[in-house]
Amino acid sequence: MTDLLLFQLRRVGRNRQYVFFTIVLPALFTVLFTQVFGAQAAANGGQADYGELYLVSMMGYGAIGAALGATIRLAFDRSTGWLRQLRVVPVPPGTALAVDVAVGALLVLPSLVVVALVGRFVNGVELGLGSWLALVGVMWAGAVVFVALGIGLGIALDSQAAGAAMGIAGTALAALGGLWWPVEILPDGLVTLARAMPSYWYAQLGRDVVSGSAPSAQAVLVLFAFGAVFSAAAVAVARRRPLHAVAG
Amino acid sequence: MPDTPALDIEGLTVRYGGTLAVDGVDLRIPRGETVALLGANGAGKSSIVNAALGLFRPAAGRVRLLGRAPAEAVAAGGVGAMLQHGGLPSETRVGEVLTLVRRRYADPWPLADLLATAGIEELLGREVDALSGGQRQRVLLALALAGAPPLLVLDEPTSAMDVEGRQAFWTTMRGLADRGHTVVFATHHLDEADAVADRVVVVGGGRVLADGSAAAVKSRIAGRTVRFRCPGPRDGLGALPGVTAVGGVGELVELATSDAEATLRALLAQRDALPGLEVRGATLEQAFLQLTTAPLTTASDGVSR
Repeated sequence: MTDLLLFQLRRVGRNRQYVFFTIVLPALFTVLFTQVFGAQAAANGGQADYGELYLVSMMGYGAIGAALGATIRLAFDRSTGWLRQLRVVPVPPGTALAVDVAVGALLVLPSLVVVALVGRFVNGVELGLGSWLALVGVMWAGAVVFVALGIGLGIALDSQAAGAAMGIAGTALAALGGLWWPVEILPDGLVTLARAMPSYWYAQLGRDVVSGSAPSAQAVLVLFAFGAVFSAAAVAVARRRPLHAVAG
Repeated sequence: MPDTPALDIEGLTVRYGGTLAVDGVDLRIPRGETVALLGANGAGKSSIVNAALGLFRPAAGRVRLLGRAPAEAVAAGGVGAMLQHGGLPSETRVGEVLTLVRRRYADPWPLADLLATAGIEELLGREVDALSGGQRQRVLLALALAGAPPLLVLDEPTSAMDVEGRQAFWTTMRGLADRGHTVVFATHHLDEADAVADRVVVVGGGRVLADGSAAAVKSRIAGRTVRFRCPGPRDGLGALPGVTAVGGVGELVELATSDAEATLRALLAQRDALPGLEVRGATLEQAFLQLTTAPLTTASDGVSR
């Protein structure tokens, strides 16, 4: 299991696109969006602290991308036949899946930490050490929801669709869930839509911590429900479509 | 435990949706045998192999590998396999994959010897995504051999190899058989089965059509086809010595025969001219058709077992 975990971590870490989209891009956006929206808000005499807001939003955006990108890859390993090959090697059944869950969960962390460091040292966001740790910890735990979603998509989709899904799912969750722009500036209809997205509630965990309180029960419950639905869907699809099957 | 067969299949039935891919196959392979599963595409070879390896649950029947359930035999390191749809992980190097797999076995094949046997000494540092089809097959062979397993199961292992690659591959397989490994392979090449296997099991329509020594099976299916143009009536052609079937399109007549010489002598005695005469080896498809239409029990040149 450890061998396979290190093997998989090395494979994903070697993928430059993955590193770019899950670490570099969120870090750049953290700076860029804070400047753009912060300057606008200052011009309009606004009070909101865009440094803090985008710190949380971009931690969420990077983490979602990392969780999905690391897990939807299951579809590639099925299509190349690697998962079938593993079935005729003394590797316990289910290990490949368990390892991809672990890889998804682990690879969320670099993204969270890098964006947090950019928020602190580039944008000058000041939080106590306890709050920083709580912020990263809460965002890390919440990312499990997107690991479950990615595993489900990875099992359900063929490799071509999976490649597209990595980009589209991450972008849709970020854009519609209010990670790229503050929900406050959106019209009512889009606010309602944002509040229906798991990404909105995921970022809410972080916003709660940054504002100095514990994560709200509502956010935790909603995320828990999404996680349960995604996991159940993944299990249901896996029953119909074993990972070692050739197709179908 | 060494007395238990390497592979023991009883009443295996495999269905895909409504299609019956394997129809009640019984097959027992003692340890140390080299056995070819010979059949055309769609004959059910891969389904037998995949069910034997426990890659899916059969509709009916019982499979034992080395005296155990397939998944247990694999987990215990007793089996190595080259799958038809097996593959290598992207974004890795050959050496990394090989190390990963070798470390799963308690007593892996010594590395230098493994590399030489599979012929991949130069490929260790190569990126998997940059391998040619033949190189990929050799790496997959190395993975199958990595644990020096007593039972090797190979599903059309040479399909992506060129002629030289095939020859080297089968030399390797004969070497393994000599060292006491049980080798079971699926192929649609009669010559491969003939050159390597002690025993050939002919599969067609999801059933075992013939099972015996390579020589016996070959004599049964290595018939000839006699072709010529015949504008006139063709009565009596089916009654010629050796002829097992009469076919052809338009003026062209095709006689399948088990004794081309006797058929030709009779034809020449009967007719003044045989325009466009050709004598060819029967294709495997024709041979299989023959086996399917003429069941073993009524065959005059019956195969042992």
